[in-house]
Amino acid sequence: MRSSSVSSLRDKIFDRMLEAFMVVLSLLVLYPCYYIFEASIKLPKEFYEPLKFPSRIYWGNFENVFAKVQVGRALLNTLLICGGTLALLIIVASMAGYTISRNKHKLFQFLFVLFLAGMIIPFQTSMVPIYKLAQSLHLMNTRTLLILLYTAGTIPFATMIYVGFTKGIPRELEEAASIDGYGPLRMYWLIIFPLLLPATGTLIVTTVFGFWNDFIGPLLYLTDKSKLTLITQIFQFKAERSSDWGGIFALCSLATLPLILLFVITQKYMIKGLTAGAIKG
Amino acid sequence: MHPTRKRLVYGVTFTLPALIIFLLFTFYPFVSSLYYSFTQWDIINKPKFIGLDNYRNLLEDRLFIRSALNTVTIALFVVIVQNPLSLLLGLVLNKPFKSSYFLRTAFYLPLVVSLVVVSVTWSNLLQYDGVFNELLLRLGAEKYIQDWLGTTSSALTSIILIQLWYGTGYGAVIYLAGLQSIPQEVYESAQLDGAQGWKKFRFVTFPLLMPSFTICTFLGMVGALKFFEMPYIMTNGGPGDATSTLALVIYNYAFKNNTFGYATAAGILFMIAISVVTALQLKLTRSKEVEY
Repeated sequence: MRSSSVSSLRDKIFDRMLEAFMVVLSLLVLYPCYYIFEASIKLPKEFYEPLKFPSRIYWGNFENVFAKVQVGRALLNTLLICGGTLALLIIVASMAGYTISRNKHKLFQFLFVLFLAGMIIPFQTSMVPIYKLAQSLHLMNTRTLLILLYTAGTIPFATMIYVGFTKGIPRELEEAASIDGYGPLRMYWLIIFPLLLPATGTLIVTTVFGFWNDFIGPLLYLTDKSKLTLITQIFQFKAERSSDWGGIFALCSLATLPLILLFVITQKYMIKGLTAGAIKG
Repeated sequence: MHPTRKRLVYGVTFTLPALIIFLLFTFYPFVSSLYYSFTQWDIINKPKFIGLDNYRNLLEDRLFIRSALNTVTIALFVVIVQNPLSLLLGLVLNKPFKSSYFLRTAFYLPLVVSLVVVSVTWSNLLQYDGVFNELLLRLGAEKYIQDWLGTTSSALTSIILIQLWYGTGYGAVIYLAGLQSIPQEVYESAQLDGAQGWKKFRFVTFPLLMPSFTICTFLGMVGALKFFEMPYIMTNGGPGDATSTLALVIYNYAFKNNTFGYATAAGILFMIAISVVTALQLKLTRSKEVEY
């Protein structure tokens, strides 16, 4: 007995030390994230003493950036693209996923495999033909194009989530609704779609970061100054004013803060979504 | 109308919007890229059919080969170094610490930051008179001070280590979910059989974590193979071609050199490489998965 209590005490001490070490390590990991915000309120001359804590909060970098570039417009473009993509994606993928899950016809099972096969095509393989396609459809420099591209790219993952989630919905509800004379469309909107909301939530928090942060899409297909997103705006600003670190970081912090807040709020769902397809799939 | 027939018609109607978007923006571009890869094309004039020339030239293209090697280096590092570290981190985060919630958030946080912001931030931290060199100076390690991203010998290593900082938490979260899905009874019966410590991990925990291992290796590798933002923004593939990656070189062939047919052929080779590598990896790790 004695020896086991000694060993459990040793385990406890080990765990305490491990935890202390992990906390220190996590602060080191967080430092670059913190630095984005610190650097955005530094005076220009303070960049020459990089380890010195800013003497005061200097809002000048933000004022400068707002005076020089259309931050509001970039934010609006980003929001429109993210919002538009989510709306379109949720509607088309939930309808497809629900149908594939409930309809055992071979046609739909083939469709599902086709969608999943789309996952292996890297963007680099299709980026030139998409460029050409966008030109011929007159979608070059439109936010609509990005919405369609993101939706197309996320359909496989989103359909997978909805297929999996539909399996957990009891069929009795649909049967009862059918007896009450609900047509397929009414049934879908009034009964199924609300029941799929948890899956929709998971889908939103796992994909919206990617839409917000995407760089190569707007870099290639939204070259017009009025169509810059926050991310391409950062890139553009850095290309034009590479020594204005304060301004660059002010833009970076504006592009990052909403995501950090969203992550902290939705963390639970996000981790669930990350592993939804991975572990049980 | 017959009820089964009716079901089918409604099913098709419901899947049609997704199918149209998918066919137009995923399937069609892919199929047409197969065609473009056999042509010489500047996107303005009509593509000129040149057979396998693009592929032949690519296999002798020094920049392309160098970029492929760099990409393989990054991918290998992710699989061999980052993946085990993710596993270790996942095991630690699974412990019932008071600070668990905080730790999980902290290690995952870099991942929500855009890669453009990550690239810009690390460019600043690593520049010659930046935070990192200043730190070395304070610690009395002046002899290591250098231009980290501007020196051939250290540029790729720097980018790989930034990837380590960025990606380890993601893998850890996947392992964590795997760990939490292992039923407690399994551990209890292992305990009764006298499995403890390393033995318990080697013969009980790790085999059951195999699905997480599969998915982590897969995602890590795919991510590493598609490396674009960091080299593009931090080093533009330089110095020389030290940090050029396949994704970056394909972009440059198309939108810098205007050789669109050539770029598409490179894109096709890129896709074949990814498919082969990931198929092999899935086969290898899937065969090791066990049931409980």
